[in-house]
Amino acid sequence: MSMALETRGLGRRYGSQWALRDCTLEIPRGSVTALVGPNGAGKTTLLRLAVGLTRPSAGSVHVLGLDPHADAAEALPRVGFLAQEHPLYGAFTVEEMLRVGRKLNPGWDDEAARDRIAGLDVPLKKKVRSLSGGQRAQVALTLALAKRPELLLLDEPVASLDPLARREFMQSVLAAVAERELTVVLSSHILADLERVCDHLVILTAGRTQLAGSIEEIVASHRLLTGPRDEAEDVARAHDVVRESHAERQTTLLVRANGHVYDSRWTVHDLDLEEIVLAYLGQGATPRREVVAS
Amino acid sequence: MIWLSWRLQRTETLVALGILGLLTAWLLPTGLDMWHAYYHDGLAGCLSTAGPGTACGGAVGLFRARFGGIDNLATWFNLVPGLIGVMLALPLVSELENGTYRLGWTQSVTRRRWLLARLVLPIVVALLAAGGLIALFSWWRGPLGHLDGRLDNGTFDTTGVVMVGYTLFALGLALALGAVWRRTAASVAVSFAVYIAARLMVDSKLRDHLVSAVSATWKGRPPASFENAKVLNLVATIHGHRVLSGGGFTGGGVKLQAPNLNRAVIHAVYQPESHFWPLQFTETAMFCGVALLLIAFAAWRVLRSD
Repeated sequence: MSMALETRGLGRRYGSQWALRDCTLEIPRGSVTALVGPNGAGKTTLLRLAVGLTRPSAGSVHVLGLDPHADAAEALPRVGFLAQEHPLYGAFTVEEMLRVGRKLNPGWDDEAARDRIAGLDVPLKKKVRSLSGGQRAQVALTLALAKRPELLLLDEPVASLDPLARREFMQSVLAAVAERELTVVLSSHILADLERVCDHLVILTAGRTQLAGSIEEIVASHRLLTGPRDEAEDVARAHDVVRESHAERQTTLLVRANGHVYDSRWTVHDLDLEEIVLAYLGQGATPRREVVAS
Repeated sequence: MIWLSWRLQRTETLVALGILGLLTAWLLPTGLDMWHAYYHDGLAGCLSTAGPGTACGGAVGLFRARFGGIDNLATWFNLVPGLIGVMLALPLVSELENGTYRLGWTQSVTRRRWLLARLVLPIVVALLAAGGLIALFSWWRGPLGHLDGRLDNGTFDTTGVVMVGYTLFALGLALALGAVWRRTAASVAVSFAVYIAARLMVDSKLRDHLVSAVSATWKGRPPASFENAKVLNLVATIHGHRVLSGGGFTGGGVKLQAPNLNRAVIHAVYQPESHFWPLQFTETAMFCGVALLLIAFAAWRVLRSD
């Protein structure tokens, strides 16, 4: 079965600037993936490429085995997308927004949409432009969910929301995932927003993939090693060094371990996800290597 | 998709209807007056029985004194198709500006279908509005047309079918500029200015040459086609001496007046009134053609954008 999202050497250039470059990753179906990276890392570009809003300058992208551009008629009904600014027609009432969804999506689940809106206490007759930011986000999410997509792409869905609205929004996403088979990719520049709901992670910085894989596997494979400075190079030959810092005689290495790390001269520490992500984000604009896993 | 397209341009459509309504309310009383005066003050009878060359001077003078002012005001009607055309481009351009097109493009319809619905509806409304304007103005100006012929710019611009071309042209301009700039206010302002400039140029320079003019030389009685003609150039000579030159209109009652004109040899280049429809169709085709190119360009820009 094809991946929910699969890219090969995917790149997008605006003028001479690469917004996304040489991005290769696979996101399996049924996963909930956090797409993390600083602002300007290419998260929005990657998601827009996936839903066909943007065309690749290099490489290829497939969603559910389909080319989002060439197979748009087939791919669009199966992919839900929520843009960062939650675009909705301000002059429409909530009810009219639902009607937009019904008219434009053959798979539209009107009952579920109305139930969701009722559950959120958003008045159907209210104009969209008079809703709060959290309500707007929820209406936009309702629109994306009620078309019953197999893959849901959410671009910085909670960036503009207050903490309470963030929590409610993420709960809505979790509830949708629990309800039926749904693959979700959500982006954020803050991992804390996503950590609780995700089982996969992709880290993008400066338009490149730094790390992609299941969170479980990522946490299991990363280690912090402290040991003699003169043997750091031996470690680097066996494992991928993400970050290193040197004291006078002692070196600290954050590595992605290939197999087990045994060495009596090195002390080994486990890491939590946040420390690992920070180490990758700290690599900044000049990545030394790309690590790709699925 | 048609519903969404309609819902998004509902306001603009209602405003266009409102403009038509206001114009009707304004023109209906004067129009009724004019038609009444035309038939009851003897003008209609005089113009239909009198052959070319006979003057209905008195009746025409009275009629003109009464309604000429309104006719001058009617130059402003040329702004109406531009206004409506530009306005109908607003919904699409503002969507491009504020990014809501991304909402449409991530539903289940393809971009092509989305765009088709978003373009067809304003075009249809523009055509209907132009039809309404034509019907209104043609009726209203009817008597003045009988007086001066229909070739003077004021009548030509507001009757026949050219308004269809003007409205579509304004729509196409605003769509094309909006597709490039994605800024509503700037696109509207500039396209309206370009609309006026293009109209002025066509009215003053191009129109007379869209269909080749008739060239005739006579002495004494002018040819029948000279009646109600638009004279581009006229030279009257007596024994080789020029006694009169110029251009203008030869509508009912306004006849060439110069001493001894009966003895003069007159050479004139003019558009006879029979060229009204060929001129109308040529100009309409020209504006519609440019409008379609502009709309196609806008569509291409929108489809390949990301």
